[in-house]
Amino acid sequence: MAVDQSRSGYQLDCGRSLEEVWARLDEVQAGHADEHELGCAHCSTARGSLLALREATAELRADRTEPSLDLVDRIMSAVRANVRRSGAMVELRTDEPGRVEVSEQAVAAVLRYAADAFDGVRARRCRVRTAGRAPDGATLIDVELAVAVRYAAYEPAVLDRLRERVQVACTSRLGLRLNQLELIVDDIYDV
Amino acid sequence: MTARSVEQSDQVTEGSLDDLTLVSRARDGDTRAYEQLVRRYQGQMYRLAVRMLGSASDAEDAVQDVFLSVWRKLDQLNDDAAFVGWLYRSTTNRCLNLIRARKPSADVDLESTESAAGYTDPVRAAEVGAQLTALAAALLKLTAEQRTCWLLREVHGRSYDEIAGIVESSTASVRGRIARARAQLAEVMQPWQ
Repeated sequence: MAVDQSRSGYQLDCGRSLEEVWARLDEVQAGHADEHELGCAHCSTARGSLLALREATAELRADRTEPSLDLVDRIMSAVRANVRRSGAMVELRTDEPGRVEVSEQAVAAVLRYAADAFDGVRARRCRVRTAGRAPDGATLIDVELAVAVRYAAYEPAVLDRLRERVQVACTSRLGLRLNQLELIVDDIYDV
Repeated sequence: MTARSVEQSDQVTEGSLDDLTLVSRARDGDTRAYEQLVRRYQGQMYRLAVRMLGSASDAEDAVQDVFLSVWRKLDQLNDDAAFVGWLYRSTTNRCLNLIRARKPSADVDLESTESAAGYTDPVRAAEVGAQLTALAAALLKLTAEQRTCWLLREVHGRSYDEIAGIVESSTASVRGRIARARAQLAEVMQPWQ
């Protein structure tokens, strides 16, 4: 295929540009070739090459070569070695000597799982902050929880039950007292 | 609910969660959510990297670096929906940096690229079609910038605007690079017609 690359647009010897031939591939294939295209050897050769390229490109797109099976593990061990410890620690009430602390991140994870166990709800962001102590010594926390709710499951009562669930998880699973819960419906999904 | 049932319900649902949910959890530091994203997108990024670099082992190293650096900077992502675009941008940049750091001949000399850079058997074995083999070889003869633009557009289906953002160029110049890439690739495809 002779193309003159010194001129802009990669012109064939017949004067047509390769881009023109590319743009009209389907038209010509469908039998709508113009007079020039019917008789021009340059255009015909170019079309042959472009069709071969298009076919090979489709093969490349369909290629599903996967990396080594252990790549996920390699990536994840590097990730776990770089766990972001953002946020502070929450002190848990204990009758024993010494302190017991749990990270805000860990509290957030437990609350996300509690919300997830709720049919039609997917927990997204969860932010936890210590908000002081209750008179009985229990630690109070403020929680901001963003969720996506399935369209069919979305009704105000669901959010009330979710609120209850989070509250129970705070007390029974973490030994913390929920001071304030900001529940945000981030998204509605439809599955 | 017991700890065990939390684990179980988590395992059942996490693999099928949508990207936005996984990204927002990963931003909160949830490594299991991030692992799902890695599983979901490592293949796509690997296939881009392998065609960019012409080497399976270099491509795996690049993909590993990309997912680690994305994890580290995840809290800088303003829009959770931009995650995949961000992966493409990171993978492209990582590959371009690797190519620039190589000896100049390695990028243009096909023979030495294939043997020296370890164009390994698994990749070859998958290329059953002669056309695909010819195309893969021809790709490595393009300039890295042309190859980037062509792969992102023709194989990964990214928009011209997005590619322009990734390679920090105008859409006109992206279109130009793709046209030049197409012309050079078509020329190599001729023997297979």
